[in-house]
Amino acid sequence: MGEEIVHALRGLDLSIGSNELVAIMGPSGSGKSTLMNILGLLDVPTTGQYWLDGRDVAQLPQSELARVRGRQIGFVFQTFELLPRQTALRNVELPLTYSGGPNRKGRAIEALERVGLGNRMGHRPNQMSGGQRQRVAIARALVQKPSLLLADEPTGNLDTQTGEEILALFTELHQQGQTIVIVTHEPDVAERCKRIVRIRDGQVESDESC
Amino acid sequence: MLILANVQNALEQLWTHKLRSLLTVLGIVIAVASTITVVGVIQGFTSYVSVFLQNQGTNAMWVWPFRPPGEAGKRLGRVELDESDYQAIAMNCPALKRVSPLLRRQSAKVRVGRDEITSILEGVSADYHPIRNFFVDVGRPFSAVDVERGHHVCVLGREVLRKLNAGEDIVGEWLLIDGQRFRVIGLLEEKGSFLGASQDDVVLIPYTMAFKMYPAVRRKIALTASALNELVVPEARAQVVNLLRRRHSLEASQPNDFNVLTQDEILENFNKLSLVATAVLSGIVGISLLVGGIGIMNVMLVSVTERTREIGLRKAVGARRRDICLQFLTEAVALSVVGGGMGIGLGYGLCALASLHPQMVAVIVPWWAVVLGFGISAGTGVVFGLVPAIKAALLNPIDALRHE
Repeated sequence: MGEEIVHALRGLDLSIGSNELVAIMGPSGSGKSTLMNILGLLDVPTTGQYWLDGRDVAQLPQSELARVRGRQIGFVFQTFELLPRQTALRNVELPLTYSGGPNRKGRAIEALERVGLGNRMGHRPNQMSGGQRQRVAIARALVQKPSLLLADEPTGNLDTQTGEEILALFTELHQQGQTIVIVTHEPDVAERCKRIVRIRDGQVESDESC
Repeated sequence: MLILANVQNALEQLWTHKLRSLLTVLGIVIAVASTITVVGVIQGFTSYVSVFLQNQGTNAMWVWPFRPPGEAGKRLGRVELDESDYQAIAMNCPALKRVSPLLRRQSAKVRVGRDEITSILEGVSADYHPIRNFFVDVGRPFSAVDVERGHHVCVLGREVLRKLNAGEDIVGEWLLIDGQRFRVIGLLEEKGSFLGASQDDVVLIPYTMAFKMYPAVRRKIALTASALNELVVPEARAQVVNLLRRRHSLEASQPNDFNVLTQDEILENFNKLSLVATAVLSGIVGISLLVGGIGIMNVMLVSVTERTREIGLRKAVGARRRDICLQFLTEAVALSVVGGGMGIGLGYGLCALASLHPQMVAVIVPWWAVVLGFGISAGTGVVFGLVPAIKAALLNPIDALRHE
């Protein structure tokens, strides 16, 4: 029916080490969103391999994909994506309800304390500022102690100063040993990272460490 | 743990959209409320009727002349049942304990002084009392001589007394029944009413006397009888049928020119009636469930669309398809079960309202109707919640997160 097959990514080879802080940049249509979706296990590559934490996860079945996604990837979104009617604590607990395990509340509290919101646990998103909301989202991403923290334009909806604070938090988490990938088109944000990968036309254009 | 979280989540959603939820479950509420009400009323009537029949005297049966419908009935000669048939049954049916004629006139004029009322007249023998379990408690019943000679004596029900504004001292007095002078010799005990009609509004006279007053009924009398015990009721029935067929010289190919009805058969007829009522109920319930179910499906589809981003987020943090499916199914079931609960409450309310009517029977809501109510509402939730739940489960997380 005249549908065109578009290869969003083609022949891309990228390796990110443990405890790296990487920015992925690229103009719209470059394939960076697709790359992020694959890294986050929201999408699977048509062909090729994706090794996450020593395991090829590219061709896993749906339910297994969800399991790995829940346990090993922590997402941070531009628009926070918090459940509006639930408290910060319940929002952070959410991933744990799917993976199970003991002491969910304790782990959620620990994650909130890590992002400096120990005193806001009972607040709902509409009772918090944008920066606080993003911190809740980061706490939610951290609660499973994921192999990879994946942030998609994490400062896009925040003013400059709050954005700075969030980036400072990422830097701090990185120093504590967390692997972080930030997808962004803001050079300011990318500059805070140790390594910048530029994508264009579905391929790595440049990969520089600073 | 996930189930608990789902239920909590579902109730929160429900509470957040109170009005929407209420309107959605209206169909379920109506379905369950009508189930509870109608089942309660039917059960009430059933137990009322069986108690009534017990009070009629167990093992009772009735016989009356009857021309069967159709060609076979037309070819029968005269359809009659007379005193000789009565005597023969009394003599020759060993499974029968007692038998009495029952000549009934729907309106007879009873006059005392200047007061005149109408009542139901029954020409009977003294055996009537034990058969109907309806005894004389002031004065005396008819003696054998009263019946044999056709004495001008009568026994009154209490309602007749009330209508005449008379006291128990009326025993021994004279009154006029359809122009004939009768002496009151006894009063019947209070029996109460059945389906709004008083059973005490009755005047008994010896059937022989009724023959004299109304010669036309001589050849068309009805009989009431009781069997020795419950077990021999069918046998007693067979004996009566065989005897009357022989006496009426009916051939094997001809139908009965009379009818025999036993108490069991009355109960059976009543049960058929409640079956019809149940069928009508099922229709109402079915339609309202369909309407309610579609309402639930609609609101769940809206909910899935509204919460597409939430679904995407849940998938991103590790929810599998079945987790999402279960979440929305739980919501649909919670919605419909809450509706079912409200329906049960409303049903009880309607039953209580119905009981306020003075001639209403005691309404009995059986426990299984409540279970049924919850069952059908939960079932509706599952059936009609399935499509939206599957739709939610199959959402692609990337598209869902991008949804505006």
